[in-house]
Amino acid sequence: MQERDFDIVIVGGGGAGLRAAIAAAEQARKNGTHQRIALLSKVYPMRSHTVAAEGGAAAVTSAEDSLQAHFDDTVAGSDWLAEQGVVDYFVHHAHRELVQLERWGCPWSRQQDGSIQVRRFGGMKTARTWFAADKTGFHLLHTLFQTSLKYAEIERLDEYFVLDIAVHDGSVIGVIALQVASGELTLLRTKAVVLATGGAGRLFRFNTNAGIVTGDGMAIAYRHGVALRDMEFVQYHPTGLPGSGILITEACRGEGGILLNKDGYRYLQDYGLGPETPLGQPQNKFMELGPRDKLSQAFWQEQQAGRTGTFAGSDVVYLDLRHLGEAVLKERLPFICELAKSYINVDPVREPIPIRPAVHYTMGGIETDAECETRIKGLFAAGECASVGLHGANRLGSNSLTELLVFGRLAGERASQQAAQRDFADPHLIQEQAHRQQRSLATLCQGKSEENWVAVKRELIQTMESGCGIYRTEAGMRAALDSVRRLRERYRQVRVNDKSRIYNTELLECIELGFGLDIAEATCLGALERRESRGAHQRLDQDMQQRDDTRFLKHSLVFHHGDATAELQWQDVDVRFSAPAERVYGEAGSNTEGQRGARS
Amino acid sequence: MHPNERLPPLPRSWWLKHRYFIAYMVREATVLPLLFFAVCLLAGLIALLRGEASWMNWLAFMGSAPVLLLNGLALAASLYHAWTFFQLFPRVMPLRIAGRPLPHQAVVAAQWAGVAVVTLISLWLFMGGAR
Amino acid sequence: MSTKSIRIKRYLPEQAEEAFWQRYEVPVDDSTSLLDALNHVKEELDSSLSYRWSCRMAICGSCGVMVNGIPKLGCKTFLRDYPDEVRIEPLAHFPVRRDLMVDMEIFLEHLAAVKPWLIDEASNAAEPNRQTPAQLARYKQFANCINCGLCYSACPQFGLNPEFLGPAAIALAHRYNLDSRDHGKAQRMPELNRHEGVWSCTFVGFCSEVCPKHVDPAAAVNQGKVESAKHTLIALFRG
Repeated sequence: MQERDFDIVIVGGGGAGLRAAIAAAEQARKNGTHQRIALLSKVYPMRSHTVAAEGGAAAVTSAEDSLQAHFDDTVAGSDWLAEQGVVDYFVHHAHRELVQLERWGCPWSRQQDGSIQVRRFGGMKTARTWFAADKTGFHLLHTLFQTSLKYAEIERLDEYFVLDIAVHDGSVIGVIALQVASGELTLLRTKAVVLATGGAGRLFRFNTNAGIVTGDGMAIAYRHGVALRDMEFVQYHPTGLPGSGILITEACRGEGGILLNKDGYRYLQDYGLGPETPLGQPQNKFMELGPRDKLSQAFWQEQQAGRTGTFAGSDVVYLDLRHLGEAVLKERLPFICELAKSYINVDPVREPIPIRPAVHYTMGGIETDAECETRIKGLFAAGECASVGLHGANRLGSNSLTELLVFGRLAGERASQQAAQRDFADPHLIQEQAHRQQRSLATLCQGKSEENWVAVKRELIQTMESGCGIYRTEAGMRAALDSVRRLRERYRQVRVNDKSRIYNTELLECIELGFGLDIAEATCLGALERRESRGAHQRLDQDMQQRDDTRFLKHSLVFHHGDATAELQWQDVDVRFSAPAERVYGEAGSNTEGQRGARS
Repeated sequence: MHPNERLPPLPRSWWLKHRYFIAYMVREATVLPLLFFAVCLLAGLIALLRGEASWMNWLAFMGSAPVLLLNGLALAASLYHAWTFFQLFPRVMPLRIAGRPLPHQAVVAAQWAGVAVVTLISLWLFMGGAR
Repeated sequence: MSTKSIRIKRYLPEQAEEAFWQRYEVPVDDSTSLLDALNHVKEELDSSLSYRWSCRMAICGSCGVMVNGIPKLGCKTFLRDYPDEVRIEPLAHFPVRRDLMVDMEIFLEHLAAVKPWLIDEASNAAEPNRQTPAQLARYKQFANCINCGLCYSACPQFGLNPEFLGPAAIALAHRYNLDSRDHGKAQRMPELNRHEGVWSCTFVGFCSEVCPKHVDPAAAVNQGKVESAKHTLIALFRG
């Protein structure tokens, strides 16, 4: 067993983790102290799923835009379930973070005069999304990774798999991890921990996410008594490739791409997003530039009405980019062209791309306060794994890359400040918890049972897809919750066949499944108990098809109770700046805005 | 873990594993016939200095079948090497005109055009055009 | 759906000292990638098979392996393109730790050695730099490297001498040297000027052939030689 001491441990090497690490290092330097920072990740940082983000990062940039507009778009996009103080902080700090990234070398796309180019994105009133072609996440991640190499105080622990945190007296005191290369248990004694472990999209069968997006950090915090908040809100991205679910960025529509059903009709005009905008003249918040939840729901309706086509066994609609022309596609969407060609053999210059919705993003996550700290002192969370309260019931595209930066930085700075005020705990306290981990690993590897974890996993992802899809029903969610609970029982009997220590990836996948099952229960429970329709949570049950602000203008908080069933509580939403109103897009939306404008 | 531990060294035959490596080795090996040609030229210069008999001997030597064959090979090798070099040149020296990168094919074509011009001038000179 | 046989070079250091070949039959259709096949083996046939993967869309750079002797990304290699049996081995020129898992530490060390970050005094300024599309285009291609390491497996010079910085690291150094916002070239050149810097390269060019992102690292390395020569000459004249 290795034992190491670090002032701060950051778990996860994606955008939020790297940003937190750099911020912590800067904060310590500013305070004239030296802090040792561990950046622990189960993969090399540049493999993290931030790399797959395509479209861009939002921040108010042009003179015609305003912070108020970004705030309003985000709050309305969230169906008024966002924490408004948090959104306010976010919109105020978004621009400076993107500038900071520019100063660190991010190759943002530019206008002819050398200033930053912005593009349109769904649900945003105006063009405010910075981008680096259609590989924004890739460039953002690599810029952060490369910048992090400057800081000697950041020590990377690459390919260390986090098993648990150690908590004593309501404070975090350590991190327990497995060095994947050796199978050695590693105890990190620390004064502050930032969880930046990403979402849990792999709980669903059909998703845009990387294999590593298994919600590890969420489950770890949850098991230690931190609530998972708003987990019922799962974002379906309207445009994934059939078969694989590979992401086709919203920027395609921002650049002017249109969505067609099998009859070649722009069906979105039938779902409150019209009237139809002329080809080549996309208009913010109209048609294809509506928010993701509405677009995915429209797909489902078209599918029910039999107006979808089929491609490789999937029901699909079509994303037509042909009118943009080859030059624009090669400059603005080169990666999309490459992906469509490689994975479904479609050339977007010549043919429309068949697409369908796929699970993309976990709006909910580890409950934190507005400064990223959880109920456990010294334990912070940032990025997709966290629920700082930015996205509410539906996230707007291009808000999450900015979120990684704004809240990654905040979490890193706060962690550094906390660490400066605290001492290391007695090592025995961590060792005790580590021994418990060792025993549970041994159980997984030496179990006598024949339960196959692959079968459990397949059943889980199937269950989540059928129970917590784009549209949900009481009966469906009840069945899903029961099924997840049965699967949790079965999981206690699973056995890992591979007994080796070096690079035992079967063991890791099996542990990830255990994490996923806990999160799935929270998701199903939140979904079942939210007896209304809001944002990405849409119910078909009678009397529950509308938003119900009297009963459900609340966050769901799900608490873990060991092997017993989880418990749900409700939490008030911060609506200090903008009272809940009807959420409308298209013509109806511009009318509402017109009225608001007239009032102000 | 010993991240820097040496792997077993590559076998001498590593370049036989793939046609790309073979092509690379052929490119590098073009130096051998070219070296022979260069030695021939040097010998010619020395023969010229030594006098007429020596020069005639050298001419006879140059006209012999094996030497013609080797120098033919040298010509082919130099053309092959030029071909590979011309392909690589625009990648190593990306040229721009008014901020716009020149297309690679244009640079390659310009280089071959240069070869053609030099060849024509040489032919004209040696065929007595200068007289 | 038909099946195809793939042969994988296995190495299980806790069980046997030597590597061995194992054959698996996997179901294939037109869209089956090599990564799909490996996942099938792991979930259905042999859970002990170890390999890296993540994004499955050729952007994270995890799943590099040798396919019939050529370095490739597993997720971007389709079995439909291989009529005969496919041989899968771990990436060449890196120490193998288990099955298809190689030790990438030396690769990361080389990346870090070239100071791959923007060197600029005003790194905390409140406004963005200006950079025209033409200035961006000068380095953009070299910024597209996904650090998959395929080029190192394609480079015989790295195979012969792992101290050689190698294609990806030099391409990254070159990316920053070409960036109009950067002022760090003088700090990076000493590393590139060394024998293990640009001068170990003999322009085999295979690195650029195998690059899944068309970064053309060979061009970067050889442009680096021009820069290195200039740098040395200038230093000479300055005394």
